[in-house]
Amino acid sequence: MSEQPLTLDAALSEEAVLSTYRRMFAALARDSGAVVDDPALVDIAETLFAAFAEAGEEWLTHEQMRFACRAYPGDQFDNRLRVLKGLGAIREVFPKPNQLRYRASFTSVVGLMFIRRMMDDGGQSEMHRLLALEDLNVADPRTTMEEARQSAANLARAFRLWALELITLTTGTIEELREQAPKLWGTEEIARRAQSLHGTILTRWPVLDRVCTDLRAAIYAYSDASRRAAGRLADSAGTTRNLTLLPTETWRTFSQTASRERLAAVLDGFVFDAPAPWHDPAAIARAVDEAPRPAPAQPTPPRSTLPDQGPEDSLASSPSAAIERLTEVAESLLGSSSRVALAGVLRSDWPSARRLLADLTTVDLRPELPYRLVWADDLTISPGEEPAWLSHGFLERTA
Amino acid sequence: MSGTRQSSGSGDAGRSSAGAGARRPLGDGAVAHARARSGGPLRLGAGVAAPPGMLRLTRPDSTGQALPVWPDSATPSLLDEYQVSPVPVERAGETRRVLAATLKCCWSDLSVDPWPGTPAPAELILDTYRALIGRTDDLMRNWAIGALRRLHDSAWIVMSDGVVSLGPRCALWPVESHAQLKELIRRIPVPEHRDLTVVADADIVAAATEGPPGATATGEPPMATDAQEPPTTVATEEPPVATVVEEPQVTAAQEPAAATGAEKPRAASAAQESPRAPDSAMAAGRVEGGEAEFDDLLGGYDERRRAELVAAFMAVEHGAEPVLEARFGGLRDPALRHTLGEMLARRGRTLIQHRERWTSGYDDAYRDGPVPRHGPAPGPASGVASGLGESERAVLTLVLVHSVAIPRAEGLLPDDTWLSPHPTPVDELRRHTQLPIGELEAALRMLRHAGLLTQVKAGEEAGGYAPGPQFHRLTPAARRRLQEELILAAGPHSPLASAVRARRSAG
Repeated sequence: MSEQPLTLDAALSEEAVLSTYRRMFAALARDSGAVVDDPALVDIAETLFAAFAEAGEEWLTHEQMRFACRAYPGDQFDNRLRVLKGLGAIREVFPKPNQLRYRASFTSVVGLMFIRRMMDDGGQSEMHRLLALEDLNVADPRTTMEEARQSAANLARAFRLWALELITLTTGTIEELREQAPKLWGTEEIARRAQSLHGTILTRWPVLDRVCTDLRAAIYAYSDASRRAAGRLADSAGTTRNLTLLPTETWRTFSQTASRERLAAVLDGFVFDAPAPWHDPAAIARAVDEAPRPAPAQPTPPRSTLPDQGPEDSLASSPSAAIERLTEVAESLLGSSSRVALAGVLRSDWPSARRLLADLTTVDLRPELPYRLVWADDLTISPGEEPAWLSHGFLERTA
Repeated sequence: MSGTRQSSGSGDAGRSSAGAGARRPLGDGAVAHARARSGGPLRLGAGVAAPPGMLRLTRPDSTGQALPVWPDSATPSLLDEYQVSPVPVERAGETRRVLAATLKCCWSDLSVDPWPGTPAPAELILDTYRALIGRTDDLMRNWAIGALRRLHDSAWIVMSDGVVSLGPRCALWPVESHAQLKELIRRIPVPEHRDLTVVADADIVAAATEGPPGATATGEPPMATDAQEPPTTVATEEPPVATVVEEPQVTAAQEPAAATGAEKPRAASAAQESPRAPDSAMAAGRVEGGEAEFDDLLGGYDERRRAELVAAFMAVEHGAEPVLEARFGGLRDPALRHTLGEMLARRGRTLIQHRERWTSGYDDAYRDGPVPRHGPAPGPASGVASGLGESERAVLTLVLVHSVAIPRAEGLLPDDTWLSPHPTPVDELRRHTQLPIGELEAALRMLRHAGLLTQVKAGEEAGGYAPGPQFHRLTPAARRRLQEELILAAGPHSPLASAVRARRSAG
């Protein structure tokens, strides 16, 4: 803090900074002074912000906000709302009394996004972005030397801190190393970027070489610490556990983009057995014995058990013979009339009656023969006679 | 025993596994055995003796093939007595029936050993198979052809140019079992006479064989003389099949033996310039040697211990999964285990321990790089087939990434093992990789057959492929190396990769 007298401008600018800080971390605040204990409370803020985004120009009233967060208990919701309002994340749309509508602050939303990202990868992508941005900055002709010095100093500090943390982890327990290290250690790309940034600064402002030397030392320390942490992990882990140290996406990218040669090169120098199954003579004999045979042919349908010395010889093979025989049967029944009742015809023993009925049905079904069977609805039941159940019908000549 | 281990003084005492020093270079015999196991039967030049512990299958021109034999005339069927399951054979029943049909057609003289038998056209074998199972549809035929191919790949038969003959592994059947095989052959029905033979069987076979000049030396069956008949018609019927990478020594061996005048012009004729599959059907080969070389190690033990050692040897070498120490005396007793380790070391192998289970793997000193595959008569236009071709290795790497690396990175696979219950879906391999699809299917088939992949049927998770039982057989050093290779390949710029590289360059 500088010792300048507290002018109004200074106070205002300080207040602006503070209010930005407050807004950025409002989602995390339990009250104006501290951070939440329960991460679920942060979810309420996130849900609210999502609702605000959907709301459009009208923003939201209190009831709508409550509805958006209906999954959470009422007192928790009120609590959060109070904190968020107090820290400026949610404000009235227009500062007048009895305002009903509220809007969300952009800074808070961005802060939340930033925090989520940091949680995922511990700041690596942030570092990447930071380096990229700084690179652009120092390349920009409008940047002053003072700004460049500041940014170089900041970066050097960040790298030193990271290197220290990695070294502490390397000398600590292996489990913690395995968990934390992949988030912290930097790939060659980070080191490269930092180097180029350092080169740019030095080229433009050779007078800053002290700061740049510090930056360079910090970068080397960081790379070294990364390598040492990785080395310790590589030595200690089991022979497949190290596979966890590459993120899933790297594996997936590798499998999707690697060429055949690169894939095959992984297994160069490994020896595997040639296929050599053993076919024992006993097993061969067993296989032959158990060979699946095709299903046997369909057996003929069962013959009826009733004795039937039917007219087998009447089954002449030519098709016209069948028609002649059927015509003969029909004619013999009809005689001279064009219609005869079946009741009178079928009253004999059942085997011959059924044969006759079969013939008559065939006659009926053949379209080229001019006879038809017509059935009535009557049914005569006489248990003692044959047939016991007799439907009434007529044989007619139609032609 | 010639040429086995030389003990250099540089063995790492702290690292030696049971019996086999870690850093000792392997003797020639051990290298040969390891090569035979990883690449199929070895090809031997004329007059070259087989390494100790191997059977030599000699052709009339005195070239031959060599196959390892097991101690005390054991065979892998010994595993059944101990209820250890061998590597599961895909479609075992069908394959064995096709093998039986081949035996029926090729073992023409039942008074001698099955190998080498006489060659037969593949069509005859398919007809016999058809008669055996009584089905005539096309699906059956396709499956039978697939079975023939699998048998060819595993050196049970030799198939080329549509002619099939018995392969080297058929010589490993113990003599006592020949009676059973003969009885089996009598039971197999002969296919009905086929009316439509454009080319008679004998001609097909004859066309595929070379002129047999060396035959006079060993008393050839008359089949060979048929081939003398019409060399010109042979030339017209079978247009020169552009087959194989040829071995000069075969033709060279034929030249001096070509005695009769009738053979000289033929040897010189154009039709013979591009010789066909040479080692199919040089009939009447000879089986020589075939004693396992362990007598000095085993001789000191009594019957029971000897049997235990042999059983333990077979179990670790041929079991699909690592075997429990408690079930095998040869593994329980440290002294016996030490001897077992020495037996394995003579074959270029070493014992691998997973807590209380044991199996065997290739000794770390055996690192030949891609092993040239001395397969039986390489099929038409196969080129040089290394132990595992490039596309097979690529597919295997992909399965390892999807089934082991990704579940590990996601925390789903807690054990430190290369086998995984998470199958790789075939769709993933087909669509989201850079491999051409045609190669993918062939590679998957080969890897499955070699036991490197297992197929997981669709159950709760979608089906797919997972690493197979062969991955039990990696030594700790091999497993670390595999992991490092994967990391180097997938994340070459990560600090882990640079740590690996730094350690390797430091030694």
